[in-house]
Amino acid sequence: MLNVSVMNVVYTVINLLILFVVFKLFLFKRVDAVMTARRDEIEKANNSAKKKEQEAEKLKEEYALKLQDADKECEEIVAKSRKDGYDEYDRIVSDAKDKAEQIIEEAKHNAQVEAQREKDAYVSELTDLVVHAANKIAVSKHDEETDKELYNKFIFEAFEKSE
Amino acid sequence: MDIGGLLKELLLEDKVLIHFDFMNGFFDINKSIVVTWGIIIVLTLFLLFITSNMKMHDISRKQLVAEFIAEKLRGITLGMLGEEALRYRDYMVVVLVFIATSNLVGLVGQTPPTMDLNVTAALSLMSIILVEAAGIKKKGVKKWLKAFAEPMAVVAPMNVLELAIRPLSLCMRLFGNIIGATVIMELLKMAVPIIVPAAFSVYFDIFDGLIQAYVFVFLTSLYIKEAVE
Repeated sequence: MLNVSVMNVVYTVINLLILFVVFKLFLFKRVDAVMTARRDEIEKANNSAKKKEQEAEKLKEEYALKLQDADKECEEIVAKSRKDGYDEYDRIVSDAKDKAEQIIEEAKHNAQVEAQREKDAYVSELTDLVVHAANKIAVSKHDEETDKELYNKFIFEAFEKSE
Repeated sequence: MDIGGLLKELLLEDKVLIHFDFMNGFFDINKSIVVTWGIIIVLTLFLLFITSNMKMHDISRKQLVAEFIAEKLRGITLGMLGEEALRYRDYMVVVLVFIATSNLVGLVGQTPPTMDLNVTAALSLMSIILVEAAGIKKKGVKKWLKAFAEPMAVVAPMNVLELAIRPLSLCMRLFGNIIGATVIMELLKMAVPIIVPAAFSVYFDIFDGLIQAYVFVFLTSLYIKEAVE
């Protein structure tokens, strides 16, 4: 029962080693290969996800920057248009002022012309009146009294006319 | 009832199955070795079956089983070995599976190979070699030799003795348990031929066999863990 045969111990050792090799080759190696491949894949997926996230972050920053630029540009445009508007306003106002001045000038001129014409008309009338008076004097007899009266009348008439 | 005859038949049977006339039967092959061959063949075919056509995605059920077995068994042995002795877990898995299947072949009517002292002796020999090799690999020869005198020089003889005691206890425990279980089962079958042996068979053939496989691996792992600390 308890006899030990060396060769059988050796056989068992060999059997165990064979079994070990079998397990290593057909179980552990294969399972490990699959597991490693799976782990690699997961890592790869993880890495690519991380990379994509970074890219997205970068894009976001870029967009934020662009948005800021756009804001600035917008402000610039608004400022420019405001300035343009002021310029336009100034131009229009000054134009209007010029025009008004011109109109006033013209009106002044017109008034002067009118006044001149009226004066002319008055003068010619006065001339007529003088001629008429002269005629009257010429045709009537005259002494100092009538002359005086005539002058007064004339002056009075002229005065009346000018009013 | 001839208990004596039964025991004689069980314990003193001629274990030699293949006899060589060469060198006075030195190379004779025991029955246990042949049964072990059968176990190896069956395990190999089983492994080839479950690990064939392995894929990364959409795995089949048998691949799931293969992965589960590999990871679970490795987890068990790793738990006993500790992280430092990670490299020895695969061998411990093999020993665990081998002893467990050896103890279970009684279910299919074969004599368990672990009932042969030569097999358990070989197993414990491998274990003690592995333990010491792990110690040497980890600490180097000098430190390994020094470790015999720890915690103090007085215990050095004990530690040297342990080199022989450990494998001997491993070997005898396994052998004794299996042969004891077999003897008890045979006696039971003799006393009560029906029903009762089936109930006890669950314990002696299945539970005890698995427990002994676990104990063997657990102790070897413990020794290795101790050696690499």
